[in-house]
Amino acid sequence: MLCIFPPTRVSIGLRNLSSSEIRRSMLTQVIWWSSIALESLLLFRGFRGKLASRYPAFYFYIFFVLLQDLVCFAIRRSNSAKEYEFAYWTAEFLCVLVSCGIVLEIYRVGLAAYPGTARMARRLLGLIFVIVVVKTMVNIAVDPRWWTQATAKGVEGTLRGIQGVAVVSLVALFLFYSIPFGRNLRGIVLSYGLLVGFSVICLTFASSTASLRVQALLGFLYSAIYPVFLTLWLVPLWSYEANPLPKYPVPLEQEYQRIASATQRRLQDARSYVARAVGS
Amino acid sequence: MIGIPAALLLGTILLFLLLFVAARGSMGARELSSRSDVPLLDDDAPLDPCPSEIVARIFSSEDWEFVAETKSLQLEKLFRRERKLVALAWVHQTSMAIRRIMREHTQATRQSRDLHIATETKVVLLYAQLMFLCGALFLAIQSAGPQRARGLAVYADTLSQRLADAQHALQTVTAGPKFHGASSS
Repeated sequence: MLCIFPPTRVSIGLRNLSSSEIRRSMLTQVIWWSSIALESLLLFRGFRGKLASRYPAFYFYIFFVLLQDLVCFAIRRSNSAKEYEFAYWTAEFLCVLVSCGIVLEIYRVGLAAYPGTARMARRLLGLIFVIVVVKTMVNIAVDPRWWTQATAKGVEGTLRGIQGVAVVSLVALFLFYSIPFGRNLRGIVLSYGLLVGFSVICLTFASSTASLRVQALLGFLYSAIYPVFLTLWLVPLWSYEANPLPKYPVPLEQEYQRIASATQRRLQDARSYVARAVGS
Repeated sequence: MIGIPAALLLGTILLFLLLFVAARGSMGARELSSRSDVPLLDDDAPLDPCPSEIVARIFSSEDWEFVAETKSLQLEKLFRRERKLVALAWVHQTSMAIRRIMREHTQATRQSRDLHIATETKVVLLYAQLMFLCGALFLAIQSAGPQRARGLAVYADTLSQRLADAQHALQTVTAGPKFHGASSS
C-alpha cells in the first residue's frame, strides 16, 4: 500500500509550488530509495526465513508495491507527468485491492486453530461487506454522479476506510476471544492497521481540501512515513515464529449450546444477584 | 467518500485497539503458556464474594437512618464515605466475576465448531448489558451514594425479570442436560 505517494509523486504534487527544488531534494531521494531497499530486504528475509510461504498475501503485496515503485519510477523518468499520474493511480488502485488479501490472511492464519471465532469473523466481515454494498448503492441512487465525480484520492480513501473497519472488527474479535497473536502476525497486524488508519486520515484530508499546498504536504507526509511502517514490519518478520496454538482441543462432549446455556445461566444469576443486592 | 470526522474516529479506534494489542502481546503469550486451555466453566462456582447479608446492607437505608438519628455531621460524613467505598468495591468485584464468566465462555467457544451466531450474539448482548449496568451503578454510587442508587435498582430488577422470561423461552428451545463443568460431562 503504500506507495501511497511515492517520492516521484510528491514531486508532481509540489511541482506547482517549487518543482525544481523538490526534485532536487535529498530527502525525497532518501525516502524513495530507503523504501525500495526496505521492501527488498523484507522480501529477502521473507524468502530466506520461509515466511513468504506462510504469509503469501502479505509478501505478494510487498512484491507488488516494490514493482509499483520501480515501474512508476521508470515511467516518471521517461514520460510526462500526466502519464505518470495515470500509471500511478492505476497501480495504486490495484495495490489497494491486493492489500485486501492481508485482511483475509490475518483471518486465515490467526484463526486457523479457532473455528468458533473464525465463524464469527466470517459473519462479521460478510456483514461489513453487505453494509458497504448497500451504502454504495444508496449513494449512487441518491446522486448518480457520485462515482464519476469522486477523485482518485477519495476512492482510495473510501477503500482504505473499508479495510480499516474490517481490521477493527477482526482485532476486536481477536481481543474479545483472547486469541493470541504470534510475533510475526502481531507485527503484520500492528503495522498494517497503523498504515490503514494513517492512510484513511491522510487521504480523507487530502481529498477534502482544495489547497495544493496542504495536499502536497499530506502527500509528502504520507511518503515520508512509509519507510517507518516498512521498518515496523521488518523487525517482527526478521525470522519465523509460529503462532501459539491451544494446548488442548475442545472435548467433543462440550457442544456449543451446552456451553452457551451454562454461560447464559451464570450471567442471569449475576444479573439477579446485582438486582437483588441493590434492590434489597 | 468518508467524511473527516468518520476518518478521525476510525483512525483513533484503530490506534487504541492496536496499542492494546501491542501492550497485551507479550502478556498474552505468557498467559497462554502458564494457563490451561481446558475451559473452566464451573457452573457452581460462587459468583458472590460477599455474603448476601452484608451486600444487602450496603444499599439498605436502615444504617443510614440510624446514623442520621445521631445528628452527628462528622459521623454522617464518615459513614457516607465508608459506605460508598464498600459499595464501589462490591461493584468492582461483581464486574470482575462477570468478566471471568465471559472469559471462560470465550475460551471454550472460540474452538467450538458448532458455534451458533444468534446464541453467541445474545450472550454477548447480555454480557454488555450487565457491564453497562455495573458501570451505571458505579457512576450512580460515585455521584449520589449507595442509598440513592435505588432508581437504578428498580430498573435492574425490571430488566432482570424481563430477561429471565426471555431466557426461559430460549432454554425451552435449546434445552439440554445441565452442564456442571468440564469434568462432569
